[in-house]
Parts: sequence; structure tokens; C-alpha cells
Amino acid sequence: MVYDLIIIGAGPAGYVAAIRAGQLGMKTALLEKKDIGGMCLNWGCIPTKAFLESAKFFARLKTAENLGIDGIDLNKVSFNWTSAKKRSSGIVRKLTAGINFLLKKNGVEVITGEARITSANTISIANRLLETRKILIATGSYPPPLGSDIPAGKLVQVHDLLQMDELPKRIVLVGHGPVSLEIAQFFQLIDHDITVISPAENLLPGVDDYLRQYILKKARGQGIRILENARIKGATDEILQVDNLEIPYDLVINCSWRNGIVPPSDVDLEADANGFIPVDDMMQTRVPGIYAAGDVNGLSYLAHMASAQGVFVVNHIQGVEGSMDLKQCPINIYTVPEVAQIGFTEAEIREKGIEYRIGEFPMSANGKALAEDTAEGMIRILSGKKLGEVLGVQIIAANATDLIAEAAAFMSVEATVYDVARTVHAHPTVAEVFLEAGMDAADKPIHK
Amino acid sequence: MRYIFKFPDIGEGLDEGIIAEWYVDKGQAVVMGQPLVKMETDKVVTDIPSPKTGRIAALYGRVGETIHVGSPLVEYDIEGIEGAAAILEASKPAFEGIKEEGAGVVGTLEVADDSAYLPATHEAEPVQTKSTLHGPRQRALATPVARAMARELGVAIDQVTGTGPAGRVTKADIETYFSRSLKTDPRDAVRVTRDIEDLSGRGSPVTGQDLPVEVKPLSQIRKAIARNMIQSKHNAAHMTVFDEVEVSELVRIRTKYKETFALEGIKLSYLPFIMKAVSLALRQHPVLNSEMDMENSRLIYKKYYNIGLAVDTEEGLVVPVVRNVDRLTIRDIASAVNLFADKARKREITLEDMKNGTFTITNFGSIGGQFAVPVINYPQAGILGIGRMVEKPVVKQGQVVPGIMFPLSLSVDHRIVDGGEVTRFLNRIMEYLGDPVSLIIG
Repeated sequence: MVYDLIIIGAGPAGYVAAIRAGQLGMKTALLEKKDIGGMCLNWGCIPTKAFLESAKFFARLKTAENLGIDGIDLNKVSFNWTSAKKRSSGIVRKLTAGINFLLKKNGVEVITGEARITSANTISIANRLLETRKILIATGSYPPPLGSDIPAGKLVQVHDLLQMDELPKRIVLVGHGPVSLEIAQFFQLIDHDITVISPAENLLPGVDDYLRQYILKKARGQGIRILENARIKGATDEILQVDNLEIPYDLVINCSWRNGIVPPSDVDLEADANGFIPVDDMMQTRVPGIYAAGDVNGLSYLAHMASAQGVFVVNHIQGVEGSMDLKQCPINIYTVPEVAQIGFTEAEIREKGIEYRIGEFPMSANGKALAEDTAEGMIRILSGKKLGEVLGVQIIAANATDLIAEAAAFMSVEATVYDVARTVHAHPTVAEVFLEAGMDAADKPIHK
Repeated sequence: MRYIFKFPDIGEGLDEGIIAEWYVDKGQAVVMGQPLVKMETDKVVTDIPSPKTGRIAALYGRVGETIHVGSPLVEYDIEGIEGAAAILEASKPAFEGIKEEGAGVVGTLEVADDSAYLPATHEAEPVQTKSTLHGPRQRALATPVARAMARELGVAIDQVTGTGPAGRVTKADIETYFSRSLKTDPRDAVRVTRDIEDLSGRGSPVTGQDLPVEVKPLSQIRKAIARNMIQSKHNAAHMTVFDEVEVSELVRIRTKYKETFALEGIKLSYLPFIMKAVSLALRQHPVLNSEMDMENSRLIYKKYYNIGLAVDTEEGLVVPVVRNVDRLTIRDIASAVNLFADKARKREITLEDMKNGTFTITNFGSIGGQFAVPVINYPQAGILGIGRMVEKPVVKQGQVVPGIMFPLSLSVDHRIVDGGEVTRFLNRIMEYLGDPVSLIIG
């Protein structure tokens, strides 16, 4: 028996590709050594958002009086990590069950074990040798170990957090991606002492400078200590030596920039030093018939891009032509307030020499945001001067990560600011800021 | 307040126009009566004056876009008028005030019909390609940016194959189509004569490259010239004969009467003499005043001698026609030439002025240059080019004496006439010019 497609890794790239392949009638096997859903579902996107929501609610109780609610004794309010974790696991169970159902429904064979690519058409797993026409590597990524001598038991990986019974008080995070800031935000919201050490010069690479400055200033104001371009020089049980600073700590969490996970293989996938497997525009590796999608190809670290790539590969195998635009991908940061962007950053637009204009609108002039007591932030629409083409959208708002979907939709149909300005938005909604910013770019806003 | 000015009914039964040029920009302050935009319609080119004083808040439509009467043209931001006053202001008729000044809605008129250039005869008026531009067009499925870009690059969007979802034309499709169109064989240029859209934007290999160029859409008149020139070069078999004629006597006579004519306000140039000479020569060589009708295998001899004059204007060449030149006196011809020169300067030449020519004269010598290969004003049989008059030594009765030479370049359609007859025709013209008195004797 020959499979049409064997997918290694059941994360957002792999399982989505498997369902799509099943839907298209391909004989598909999905190989996973641990948990269906991968990092995203089991330790990343979903669980972290679940306990971040608990933390946000906890922090928001402190502002209850603003909304006219008396009688909350903040001395009696406390954050229960065990319960928050339990809630999170419940959500994950529900979602995993859903995926398993969908895989089954679409005839995808799930095989547990560690796979080895033995040729472009064969894979060995659990003492079986599987034959296949195409292979999709969707093995994801992992944070490389920190090269510092941090005492045993004092260093965990981000996915270990969910295994911890108690959260220590003084936390040091090492990393420079959005996840670092999100985890830091979580600890800040539940009143833990938090330091972020970024080995890179800038936290949040790829994020528009305006957004970056805004959110870092905000985070620092909230009490998150951020050290950029910093190195851990040494550590005792109590003190972490960071460059010239001595930081008292209880736990270090490794949120480092991730490396690709190359599956064991007898064919040379030509992975680079960081474990990323190079692919062409069709996500095909240097070995014909073997594709790589998601984190492992190094094109993106985002679950939604991994899923999009997974579907793209299956479509390509089935002869559906198309192309992947990596810039049409929203980047969300789940801080308070949230940050989201899509398209080109201002710096990128300038670098391209495109004449542009910025349409802006503050949340503080939006009725619904004011009513919800979340009127912090703003929206920026960057558009080409000549055609009015929307080139990039940046949002800082309580629910920016949902709002960005509108930008993704109109950018996917190559809308201009005139289209945005013409689109009737329901009132009152936070999304009305699009209308206003669109008008600001096209002509002049009504409410500014 | 905001005020939206709609494209007014400018008469002539026209219900739409094409934006030829914006005189104003967004954000610019304008005063009442100031020209806002140049609109080209089927019949005229006209400036639309501003009905209000204020600041331009928006321009509706780009150059090349068709605007219907009653559609918004310009949005004003008028300061200081708010609330009830604004409502009152908005309800005022647009051209109140301007009419009082007697300026009228339509300012200068300039003929710019597609067929404005060189319509030699009724039979010859080109098969119209207007429908491509004006007719109802099926709206292609396309993204907003693709539409904007197509307008910018002058790409006909319904010609582009869309690769987006449901065949939607995307920005990338326009870019691909455009860059491909730049690579087309230059010989394909012939094809553009049949597609006015194609004339308007692409074809040049320099655009699209990173070279300092400025891209401007073609005016209606330029398009008409381009189409007619290609039509002529494509259909007629061009042949050109050059010669020189000694015109000392003509110079003497012209100098003699110049003053007298000037007293009557008539500028006497050499052109009336040449036109008269040509018209008389045409009567004796009728084939040069004919037109070939290939479809019906016949030659149409015209018994009227209407001489077209190619006149250089800023917008391009126009060819007004002086009628029945053979029957006019030099004085009459001079008056007609003066009138057309004046009209051309004021851009007042009408379509009627350019109809029914039978032969054309192009006087490039007034600017410079001696010989040229003029392009026939198709479907006429010939065109005479007049070069710059020069003094040269000539031999008369065995003696080298100073002479004044007129260089002549005669292009003919070899399908219609052969070399012998052409040379005889040119000789006849030269005889008239060398001995101007014969123009009167006939």
C-alpha cells in the first residue's frame, strides 16, 4: 500500500494539511511522536491565552470601581494557578478531541512514534516501513538550550510552565520574540516580579518600530523590567548576573528564539545551522517530493502561517496553483493592550521607496472603547500615496488581535483606503476605528 | 462646509466627458471662475471653471476617466460657511455669478474629435474606434488596487486574465500584463491603430525600466494624428520627388504687393501663390486630385480643388481646408490663410474647417528645413512640402547670377499615379511659381 501523503508532525501545519489532504481524497498518514495539536494547542497558543485571560481578569478586578462596582476586597482576591491551569487543560482537551474527530472523519491515519525518512518515498516508524508519493515535514521548532550555568531546577522551558504546581515570585525570561513579552505580561498581571532579558539588540524583531516603542514603554511602565542586548554572565541559587547587574531570581524561563526540528533522515535535507530546512516558493525542499511547512522551514513562527502553508502544500501537490504571500500574515502580541500588525512596516515601506501616507485614529475617540474602559491605543493604516493601496495596518487596542482580521480581509482583496473609508461599520463598535482611519488616509475623518 | 460640484451639462447634447487634465490639486485654494479641469468630449475640449471659491477637498476621477453629466467632479471645503448657511449655499445653482460676468460655462473650444485630424473626404472618415472608449464595457472582476493601477498604467482591465480567486484580476496580473506588453514586438505597433486603448499608455520599452521618464496620456488630437499617420503609411505607397524652382520674379511681385495688402490688414506670404499654383496644376493633372477606392476598383476624380494647410499648433497638427482655390484670387486665398492662422492660434479651428480637402500643402520651410518626405494626408493622392527659400548662384543665359530657390518635396501615392505624371505635375507647379503672371493668365 502506498500513501499519497505522509505528514510528519501533528501541529498546526501538519494536522491542518492532513485534514485538507483527507478532504481531497488523498490517502494520508499523520505521524506524531507526542501530542496531536503540537506546540500551539498543547503548550503554546491556546493554553497561554487561557491562563493569560485568567490573569487579565484578575488584574481587571482592581479597576472594578471605575465601572461602578463596589465591594471587591482586593486583599481577599488572589490568583489560583492550579485552577487557572485546570481551566486551560480543559480547553485543550476539548480542542484536541475535536481535531482527532476531524482527522478520523477525513480518513487520516494517525500513527504515534518517531519517524525516520529513509528515502524520498519511504518512512520508517514504529517498526513499519511506509511507502508514500509525497512527504510533508511539519516537525516544528524548539527553543535551543541556554548556554549558561543556571542551577538545576532553576531553569525551565516555556512548555514546562504548565507542569509546575506553583509559580515562583521572581521570574526571569530569556528571549526576544512576542512570546517572551506575553509570558512576562502574564506574570506582571498576577503581580510577580518579572525581568525580560533579550540577547538581541531589539525585542520584537519584525514588528513596526512605532508599535514596538509603544508597547515596550507601556510594559516598562507596568513594571516589567526589560534588558535589551543583555547576557547572563553567571548564576547562583539566588542571584543572576546579567552583564553588570545582579538580579535576585527564583526561576529562569527559556523563551529563546526557536530552532527548527529536523527529523531523522537518510536523505540530506540540507538544513542550516539553526535546523531550518530550506524550501522553494512551493514549500518544496531540495529533495523533490519532500515538502516542509510551518516553523521547520524558518519562514515564520506563527501557527496561522503554519496552517496556511500546510494547506498550500496539499493544494500544490494536487495541482492547484498559487503563491504564498508571507506579508499577508497578521502578527499578534497578546499583551495589555494587545498589539497587532499586518503587511509592511513603516520602515519597510520607506526602504522600498514607496510614497505613503498614514491614516490614524485613537481609541480614545471611539465610543465603544470608552464604554468598555479600554480606550488605550490607536490604529494606523499605511497606504501608498499613488493608488491608495493599503500596505500595512497596525493596531494597539484591548482586542487588537481580533480587529486585525478586518485588515487581513481587505488586504487579501487588495483594497484601497477608499474602500476602507466607504465600508459601513456598525455603531458602536471598536472596529469603527477602521472607517475613521480609512477616511483619514483618503480624505478627512468625521470624528477627529 | 463641504460642497460637491457635479459635472455640468455643457450643451451639445453630450452626456459624458473624459478628463483630459486637472488644473487643480487636492488641497489647493481656488476662486470662482478659475479653470478646474479640461474635459474632452466627443465634440470639443473645454475647460470647466470653478463654481465656488474654496479649497479642493477631493477630485473625483483621474485623467482619462469618463465622467457623466451629473456625476461628482470636485469636492470643496468652504471655510466659514456652516450649518443653515451651508445648506443654503449648497442649494444655489453652480454657475450663478459666472453667468453674470458673461463668461459662460464653456470657455475656449477646441475640436478634438477622434476624426478631427485630416478628414480629407466624407468617404475617408476613419472607421470609428470610439466604442472601445465610450461604449458600455463589461465590468471585469478585479481588486480595487488592480483597478487603480490599470487606470494609472493605461491598461484595459478587461483585456487582462485574472489569476485571483474566481478569476479576479489582481495587482500582480496588471503588473505582469503591463511588463509583457512592454516586451511586444515593435512591429505590433501597427495593431494599435485599431485599438485606441493601446495608443494611450504602453508600447514604449523605456517605461517600466528604472529610467527617468515622464508618462503622459495621449490627447485625443495626438491619438488621431497617430492613427491617421499609420493609416497613411500603411495604405498608401509613398513616393517622393524633390526639385527646386527659381522664384526671383515671385519674390519681386510678393514684395511689391505686400505693403498694399498690409494696408488692408492682410498678411501676404508666398503660400497663396503656391496654393493657387497647385490648384491650377491639379486641374491639368486631375489624377493628383483623385482618390483610390480599392474596394470598388475605381478612382474617384474630384472636380473641386480644396487645398488643406498643415498648421503646426501646440497641441499638434491641424489641417484647415481652403475651398475652391482654383477660383479664388490671391487676395481671397491670403485672407483665408490669415483667418485660419488666427483661428489656429486661438484653438478655434472646427471640424467643419477641416473637411473635404483634396490635396495638402505643408509649409515646414517657415520654420526651417529644405527637403522632407511628407506623409500623405490619406486618402488624398499627394502632398506638397515647401522648404525654406534660399539664395543660390544659378546659371541664366550662360551667366552665373544670384537666384532665389524654393525647395519642393512632393509625396504621392504611387498606387494612384506614376513617376512621369508626378514629374509633369511638379514641373507645372514650378512653371507657375517661376512665372507668377501665368497664374493670372491661367
